[in-house]
Amino acid sequence: MRAALRAEWAKLRTGPAGLAVPLLLAGLLAAAGAALGDRAIDPVQLRLLGVRLAQAAVAAAGVHLLAGEYGTGLIRTTLLAVPRRLHLLTAKAALLTAGVVPVAVLGVGVAVATLPPGAAMLRAAAGSVVYLILIGLLGLGTAAVVRSSAVATGIVLALLYLMPMILRMVPDDDWQRALYRLTPATAVQTLATTVDTAALPMGPWAALGVVAAWSAGALALGALTLCRRDA
Amino acid sequence: MTATIEVNGLRKRFGPAVALDGMTFVVRPGHVTGFVGPNGAGKSTTLRMIVGLDRPDAGTATIGGRHYAELTRPMRHVGALLDPHALHPARTGRNHLMWLAASQDLPGSRVDEVLALTGLADVGRRAAGGYSLGMRQRLGVAAALLGDPPVLLLDEPFNGLDPAGIVWMRDLLRELAAEDRSVLVSSHLMSELQDMAGHVVVVGQGRVIAAADVNDLVGEYASLETAYLELTAGAGGIR
Repeated sequence: MRAALRAEWAKLRTGPAGLAVPLLLAGLLAAAGAALGDRAIDPVQLRLLGVRLAQAAVAAAGVHLLAGEYGTGLIRTTLLAVPRRLHLLTAKAALLTAGVVPVAVLGVGVAVATLPPGAAMLRAAAGSVVYLILIGLLGLGTAAVVRSSAVATGIVLALLYLMPMILRMVPDDDWQRALYRLTPATAVQTLATTVDTAALPMGPWAALGVVAAWSAGALALGALTLCRRDA
Repeated sequence: MTATIEVNGLRKRFGPAVALDGMTFVVRPGHVTGFVGPNGAGKSTTLRMIVGLDRPDAGTATIGGRHYAELTRPMRHVGALLDPHALHPARTGRNHLMWLAASQDLPGSRVDEVLALTGLADVGRRAAGGYSLGMRQRLGVAAALLGDPPVLLLDEPFNGLDPAGIVWMRDLLRELAAEDRSVLVSSHLMSELQDMAGHVVVVGQGRVIAAADVNDLVGEYASLETAYLELTAGAGGIR
């Protein structure tokens, strides 16, 4: 496991700035929320709108970390150096998380910095940071399943942004409501809300649970396909 | 005998096509072993299975009795040049070796040693994407030699080399085998192998047709090329 981490870290150190660009962009997008002011019923939610843009960049970082290697063919050298594929995926997940955490903390922190602090705001900010970590892992897991940057990015962005629109086509209202709760879009909105939370479809823990389930599902399926398939 | 490669009953289908059909042979240290056969005979797939890139449907491939994936710091046990293009084109050749060295707990000084050994010292700081095929083959050899492994697998290493490069590669492989390493080289260049290899494994349609000492084959058929053509006459190529 240490060898896998060392390999991934060395690759990042010696390589073109593959991960730095999307992560920096994610931080900037999240921080841009600071410019939205506080003229809203829920200023925290308003400021955290940047997170909904930042998630695309974080997902792209997760996708790139693995699918980029399939694109160039580097993966075949990587698997010679680190033949234990589960170790490889775990090392990439750990490194991605280590990269997303500071960027998300800084970006979200800047976004809400000038608002009066409070428990609800801290909860929303922390929830958004965890949300971004999970979306990065969702990108990584999806990349392990489909092995193509374009396809993986398409799938993740569709899940993040198009799902609510697609669900409007579900004819049954009860079904629609139930499915809507399972989208990351609902989760990110739930996490960011600090006013009138009783009206939300679920609590913040449930919202994080939904996203965690998506990420865990993608990673598990990714691990399975990565271990089973020819490289 | 940690350097012995044992390939035992490998089978593999890709959809309807049978790629390997009970591939079985042993590679011992001390001489270059040529791995020859028509296109599609299963040479590359076999090499990929030895290092765990492809999974067999049945059978095993081991190095000194162990599977590649079980080896800690595997590149210190097995050096493989399977695909000269398996690199990030924007990373420099030297940095490509640097991260590989770090992954195998090898010092950075080893990188400069193998760069010098493969004649890449002057171009090491250029992006590998700009390398010619011959330079990529040399970089692949540098990566394979990084861990000073007792086992070397090379898939058509002569491709893209200029005449001086071919001579260099031939001498290098002979030297490595003389240091009591196992050196398995797939190639279509029978004249090169006749000069260089001590043993040869001839394959066709996913299994071994013949495994013999080069001297014996040359004695019987006059040249390795004639031996190859006679032995693989019924084995076809890509079906």
